Amino acid sequence: MIANLPPGLIMILGALVLPFVARRLQAYGVLALSVISLGLFLITPAGEHGNITLFGMTLNMVRIDSLSRIFGIVFHIAAIVSSIYALHVRDPRQHIAALVYAGGAIGACCAGDLITLFVFWELTALSSVFLIWASDSERSYRSGMRYLIIQVASGVLLLSGAIIHYVQSGSLTFDSFVVEGQPLGLAATLILLALGIKCAFPLLHNWLQDSYPEATATGTVFLSAFTTKLAVYSLIRGFAGLDLLIPIGCAMTLFPIVFAVIENDLRRVLAYSLNNQLGFMVVGVGIGTELAINGTVAHAFCHIIYKSLLFMSMGAVLYRVGTTKATELGGLHKSMPWTTLFCIIGAGAISGFPLLSGFISKSMIISAAAEQHQFWVWIVLLIASAGVMEHSGIKIPFFAFFAHDSGKRVEEAPWNMLTAMAIAAFFCVGLGIAYPLLYRMLPYTVDYHPYTVTHVVTQMQLLLFALLAFVVLMKSGLYPAEQRSTNLDTDWIYRRLLPACIRGLRTVYDVINDAFRSDMVVIVHGIMDFTRATFNENGILGRTWSSSTMTLWATLLLAVCLLLYYL
Amino acid sequence: MNASKHKSKRVTDPPSWFERPRNINAMIAGLVIVCGLLVVADLFYTNPHPHFDLETSFGFQAWFGFVSFVVIVFLGRILRMIVGRKEDYYDR
Repeated sequence: MIANLPPGLIMILGALVLPFVARRLQAYGVLALSVISLGLFLITPAGEHGNITLFGMTLNMVRIDSLSRIFGIVFHIAAIVSSIYALHVRDPRQHIAALVYAGGAIGACCAGDLITLFVFWELTALSSVFLIWASDSERSYRSGMRYLIIQVASGVLLLSGAIIHYVQSGSLTFDSFVVEGQPLGLAATLILLALGIKCAFPLLHNWLQDSYPEATATGTVFLSAFTTKLAVYSLIRGFAGLDLLIPIGCAMTLFPIVFAVIENDLRRVLAYSLNNQLGFMVVGVGIGTELAINGTVAHAFCHIIYKSLLFMSMGAVLYRVGTTKATELGGLHKSMPWTTLFCIIGAGAISGFPLLSGFISKSMIISAAAEQHQFWVWIVLLIASAGVMEHSGIKIPFFAFFAHDSGKRVEEAPWNMLTAMAIAAFFCVGLGIAYPLLYRMLPYTVDYHPYTVTHVVTQMQLLLFALLAFVVLMKSGLYPAEQRSTNLDTDWIYRRLLPACIRGLRTVYDVINDAFRSDMVVIVHGIMDFTRATFNENGILGRTWSSSTMTLWATLLLAVCLLLYYL
Repeated sequence: MNASKHKSKRVTDPPSWFERPRNINAMIAGLVIVCGLLVVADLFYTNPHPHFDLETSFGFQAWFGFVSFVVIVFLGRILRMIVGRKEDYYDR
């Protein structure tokens, strides 16, 4: 019976009860519901449950297979760790939003049909925006609005695709849309576009860097875990092996790293870094071999945890110092030693140092590219790996906790934040060492050994020589100084260019309006006067004509017809 | 807003372990030595499953990592010239 209810539903329903609980207990309620939901999820047997028929369509609300199982587990882990991180928060909005958001994401990754997927998809969009608005600033309000519009647009595309797919095929089952040797149909294209928005494909990406840094310190940790990885999950389910995804993923790994170099807000650096990591996963989905899909799933799993850890460490800095701008930080290792340590572990994990989680997951994707003899893809992923070392491996910990001392002395992060970070850091190290535990959960049987001499030595060469390059550039003063700035990205198009175009059109309209309006009124009046004069009872067309005149005209017309007939 | 406890005091302490020039130099020296060893290590193993010729060339990922890093940073400097605006650009 319980298996027929979508996983995560208990979190969504629990969120409705939360407002009636005492404020200081709400945070613990989130944690408790997440843990209960995980327990229920683990005992739910694999298979398809919760089939219902609605308006003649068969919906499959719960589908547990090897793919949805592992995503469900890591989403639960993320929800639990993030809720520990947010235990000190006394804001019902954030707790409710976070609970619905996490529950929605878990429900979505277990949805067997496109309509159920759409419902949870929109639920994640609508709930998550409150984590941005909870910052209670004008900036976060505007940014949240942009976020909401884009997320809902993605949902609309998904629904349109689902409807077209249903009309064409009579089925709503969410399975692969890729048919070997055939182009994508309209339905599949719309759905791919919907996923592309959520997955932050190049040019559709900027909602991520725009909104995540505006959310609350705790909200961003939730945000970083669910939306984009739900998109990665859906891509694996629907578009594994679609070649088009390889160049898209390559572009995603490359361009954000250059933006991350010059970005001052360290939470925005992490948002660019998130974009870059998604690129690795999109490449993996595009390659689509068993090794590549395993690598993508493993990488998503590890990524959710180490990216949360990095956002948690920056959230702790934001909570204590009040800013995450690199220009105003530095030297915090003295007052926040534990946060520093956890941040470095996260930075090591994302960079892919041996014994940490990124090493055992990212390398599967890179190896999959090599095994398919995709030379340029392999080169791009190596460059991107050096780029990860730059922005997440070095820049984040170095400028926040070391560099030049800002002189700021703050308290260490609260105990609950430290606990959450410690758990995440434990996972980063644990997954790096006890990697067979993760490999066993992957969708396909794994025949891959990350700790070979070649792999360890070459990876260490790549990373440490990148670090050496950083030292050389810093010592020679060539490393670009941190600088307060706003860097334009594609959001400039809808925040500046389009409004400017609309203003321009309005000006043109106003000029035309002013110049011609009175003339037009005179002309219209003239036409009306003429019409009135012609059609009134004395006008030529309005008055009563005599019968003789009418007979004359009728005869004339008949004569003309006769002539035309013989010509 | 829950970020309410911004009690940051400005003080000048004696430099920490990580800030003393001697220790910084020692760390850099350590890094250079480890980097040297990693390149030398290339002589002592063979890649059992190379996929590309480049992969097996001596010290490939070492120089590749170094060059990529430098190129990325310089691209960043160029990008800053193109897209960098004042901090309050969107607020005006």
